[in-house]
Amino acid sequence: MSIFSKNSTPDSNEDKIADEQVENYSEAAAVEESVAVSTSSYEVARNEAPSRPGISKPSIISEGFTFEGTITSDGVLNIAGTVRGKITAKSVLIDASGQVDGELNSDQLVIKGQLKGEVNCEDLNVGPLAHVDGTISYKYIHIQRGGKVSGKFIKN
Amino acid sequence: MAEVNQQGCLFVGEGVVLKGNFEVPDIASISGVVEGELTAKQILIEATGVVHGKLSGETIDIRGEANEFVSSTRSLIIRSTGKATGSIHYSEIEIEKGGHLHGDLHNLNPHS
Repeated sequence: MSIFSKNSTPDSNEDKIADEQVENYSEAAAVEESVAVSTSSYEVARNEAPSRPGISKPSIISEGFTFEGTITSDGVLNIAGTVRGKITAKSVLIDASGQVDGELNSDQLVIKGQLKGEVNCEDLNVGPLAHVDGTISYKYIHIQRGGKVSGKFIKN
Repeated sequence: MAEVNQQGCLFVGEGVVLKGNFEVPDIASISGVVEGELTAKQILIEATGVVHGKLSGETIDIRGEANEFVSSTRSLIIRSTGKATGSIHYSEIEIEKGGHLHGDLHNLNPHS
């Protein structure tokens, strides 16, 4: 008990106070914990609650931004800048100004800009101004008139 | 339009199997099976049509199946029921959703 008591003279009264302090401390910790829990649940709610329910906010690589490396996302990725490297995401949109060079894996892929490399996707949509070059394996494909595509196409 | 002026046109009906090399000055409409080389200004492969071999034309519209080689100098359209496999050369391409594409794709004028 002397560990908890600030006063070096241990009498019964002091002990009681120390006990109370300990109790208060643990109570405060419990309150803190519950606050933390409510904050994280709030964050989850905020992530899932935009105008379109069920669709989380997209991650955006803006125009003029160059990224080199690996991107992994469970959600939507909008690329208006340049990415060199490996991308894995549920849904990827390469905007008209977007450029991707490397490996890309996604369920849904919309290409309005330029893409070079190895692509693995379920649903592929190539816009009329897009340039696509590489090895593309897909399940469903839609190429709009004017889209420039070359390379190996593999239907799964 | 093919029905109006059938001069220089080739129609292959459903169930017909054609083997050989064919030069068609205008429209070739294929509902049957063609095995060999087919060159035409405009090629329409209908939903039941199948081509095994070389296919060359200005505009090619595929609702059926084109295997091995396709070359289109103007526009190539693969419809939702269409299937193109092999080496494919085009200058302008469109693939409708559901269309099937398997093979090597080459753009005839990549710098345009």
